[in-house]
Amino acid sequence: MNLTTILLFIISKLNGERTVNAPLHLLRGKKSGQTLQDVDYFNVKPFFGIFPKLEESTYVKAIDELLDTGLIVQNGKFVYLTELGKQKVKELPAFHFKGWDYRGREMIFFGRIALLVQTLSYMRFGETSFMPIQRDRDIQLFVKRLVEGQPITDPIFAKSIGDELKKALPLSGMSDVQKYIFAYRLTGKNETAKTWDQLAVELKSSTEALRLLFIESLHRLLPVIEKSSHLPYLKKMAIDIKVHSYLTDSAKQTKRLFDEGYSMESIAAIRKLKLSTIEDHFIEMAMSDKSFPLTHFVSQESIDAVLTKSREMGTKRLKLLKNEFEALSYFELRLILTTYKEVDT
Amino acid sequence: MDLKEILLDRFGYDNFRPGQEEVIRQVLSGRDTIAILPTGMGKSLCYQLPGSIMEGSVLIVSPLVSLMEDQAMRMRKNGEKRVVALNSFLPYTERQRILGQLHTFKFIFISPEMLSQNSFAYHLNRLSLSLVVVDEAHCISQWGFDFRPDYLRIGDFLKQMNCPPILALTATADDKVLKDIQQYLRMDKPVVFRHSLDRPNISYSILEVNSAFEKTAWIIERVTHTVGPGIIYASSRKRADELAIALQMEGVAVQSYHAGKEQDDRAIIQEQFLNGELDWICATNAFGMGVHKDDIRQVIHEHIPATVAAYVQEVGRAGRDGLPAAATLLYMPADEQTTSFIIQSDTPGEAEIRHYSKLIAEGLPPGEAAELARLTETGKRVIDYYKEHYSLDKIVHHLKGLSYEKQKLLQQMTHLVKGGECIRQTALSYFGEVCRSKPAQCCSNCGLSIEWLTEAPTRKITNEKVSWDERITNLLG
Repeated sequence: MNLTTILLFIISKLNGERTVNAPLHLLRGKKSGQTLQDVDYFNVKPFFGIFPKLEESTYVKAIDELLDTGLIVQNGKFVYLTELGKQKVKELPAFHFKGWDYRGREMIFFGRIALLVQTLSYMRFGETSFMPIQRDRDIQLFVKRLVEGQPITDPIFAKSIGDELKKALPLSGMSDVQKYIFAYRLTGKNETAKTWDQLAVELKSSTEALRLLFIESLHRLLPVIEKSSHLPYLKKMAIDIKVHSYLTDSAKQTKRLFDEGYSMESIAAIRKLKLSTIEDHFIEMAMSDKSFPLTHFVSQESIDAVLTKSREMGTKRLKLLKNEFEALSYFELRLILTTYKEVDT
Repeated sequence: MDLKEILLDRFGYDNFRPGQEEVIRQVLSGRDTIAILPTGMGKSLCYQLPGSIMEGSVLIVSPLVSLMEDQAMRMRKNGEKRVVALNSFLPYTERQRILGQLHTFKFIFISPEMLSQNSFAYHLNRLSLSLVVVDEAHCISQWGFDFRPDYLRIGDFLKQMNCPPILALTATADDKVLKDIQQYLRMDKPVVFRHSLDRPNISYSILEVNSAFEKTAWIIERVTHTVGPGIIYASSRKRADELAIALQMEGVAVQSYHAGKEQDDRAIIQEQFLNGELDWICATNAFGMGVHKDDIRQVIHEHIPATVAAYVQEVGRAGRDGLPAAATLLYMPADEQTTSFIIQSDTPGEAEIRHYSKLIAEGLPPGEAAELARLTETGKRVIDYYKEHYSLDKIVHHLKGLSYEKQKLLQQMTHLVKGGECIRQTALSYFGEVCRSKPAQCCSNCGLSIEWLTEAPTRKITNEKVSWDERITNLLG
């Protein structure tokens, strides 16, 4: 797995209906209306925000590689797969990302583990003073509270955490390389972690590929821990990591006002935001809430007509559908397509 | 008062280090004091000891959260439990809890940006303060290489207090910086205590080369044939990376360190260096503050630092254990211009200032406006602070003066590099110090041998691969 194969997969999902930069926004986890909506339309939630610091130059290099090897072609602003590309996608191994559920917060989880392991590694030798490998204050305070009242100087306590890790990693189904990366991003007394550059040299890979493997391994590990009843400490480390509300903070405020009975126009006025922004919030709400009252906004007849046409034309592109339904606004079209995302074209 | 008895009784030391006792006596007498003590001379005792005798609490302003935490941790470890570190990273509830019981703490560490919060000022005003300490006080001066505009708020804050004595601590300060410290902290005829900045165990060399290529070749030759651990200071992130890669190819245990690396990797690299897993670090000036490693044998500059003070501070990281250490500076004719250019881009010019202020007036958020006006992070903070106090014309005028002064400081540094005089003597003279005795290994201009350095580094490369579960066993048992 590397950035190129992930991109190939995402482009196959986007079905030639999005621009060349859409996957970049998706991987970075951009919280704009368009990206959030694409995530849902094209069923690429697992890849949302798995590479928050992806640099444009790295991205362009990966795209060029796909173009050069003839797996994708660019037509105007849009990109799609060639026959060769379609063949290649079928051969790709399965990806196990859960970007939509964790949104980068898996790194907070790992930061907590790293600091706990370091703390116990020193404590079991009776050393109470060390430079914390995690500089994030929230993580430091979390771990501090967690170990308060625990027998942290007792080697048996340290070992029990180690045992949980040794149990959980194989259960998650992650590969041997992923287990290796996980173990070598941990620091302890006389056992410092390795940087991404060092791991890349050692494993003869790129830092991007290793980061992606690492993120995927955490996305595999977390659900195992959340479900298990035999991993008590790891479970505590995973508290509040999975995203509960899929709405952005701003959309949450809009939803509260909507629930109080305000119209979209009034909400825009109250919040001093553009109507188009409020519309984005409603799209987000429609995405995350199965009981979203779609018929408050469009008639059942319009819904049926749009869905039939979309299937017939084999597209989810708004511009093409808008030509067919002059009377409907873009917002209404987006709402329909979002709510009935399972319609496959 | 028998200070030595207290020293032994409460801190377990038999003797003061040079300078400590004098500073402590001044502080106890209630005078405002500026103490310039080289790093590693036990600055913190200068407020810990008086604090433990005087009634009331000691407030310590510190520039870096990590530095503050580190200091508070050390004090707790040594048995002083009435210590707290307050900064804006603490969650709201935690902060409120601490503020509610502020009077129970003897030593209160605080970051400067907290001082401008009204809630904090309210709580502090009800407290009886015996002493205000400003650590790394050179950060208050725009002439300083570590200028932090937030530090200027300390003065505003002190104005509202009923003037407890102030102790300003720093490792380096020339006369200009000293004047700024005195003025902005509103100090009343302070006693200035200056411990010699001279570090007799460090020898200085300056070498001229013709190209960046020659620099790289020299560094490779040097690093593979002499002792570490050491730091190589480069002028840019890119150059630091380049050098690290070149040295790695030669089998040297080295990593680059700069603000462009992710936080986790930076912490790992620092830890590896402290632990002896790395022999060398190729860094920008982002590396150093808060790094406690006593056995650094060499510091190599492959560019010209912006000021002599910055140079002395960076070189001073070598040889804290008192054993011989070597400082080497490589330069080529174009370096002066490179540094000059970096300085200019850090100081906002008239066009940028006016553009920024116009965008703000048009209602753009400050962050966006700063980006559009091409201001650096520091540049933006400087202007933001001045905008609260001065008119636009005054700011422009002031920053023009600042830019001119910075170029003058660079000229001092270039003179040190090219002047051909004793490097030790010249550097000390900029801080108003006379070098009384030169060590045998003084500097390349006085003549020196580096035989002690030439000892082929021996590093056993352990290629044993430890599996993931074995590693977890190694870590946790």
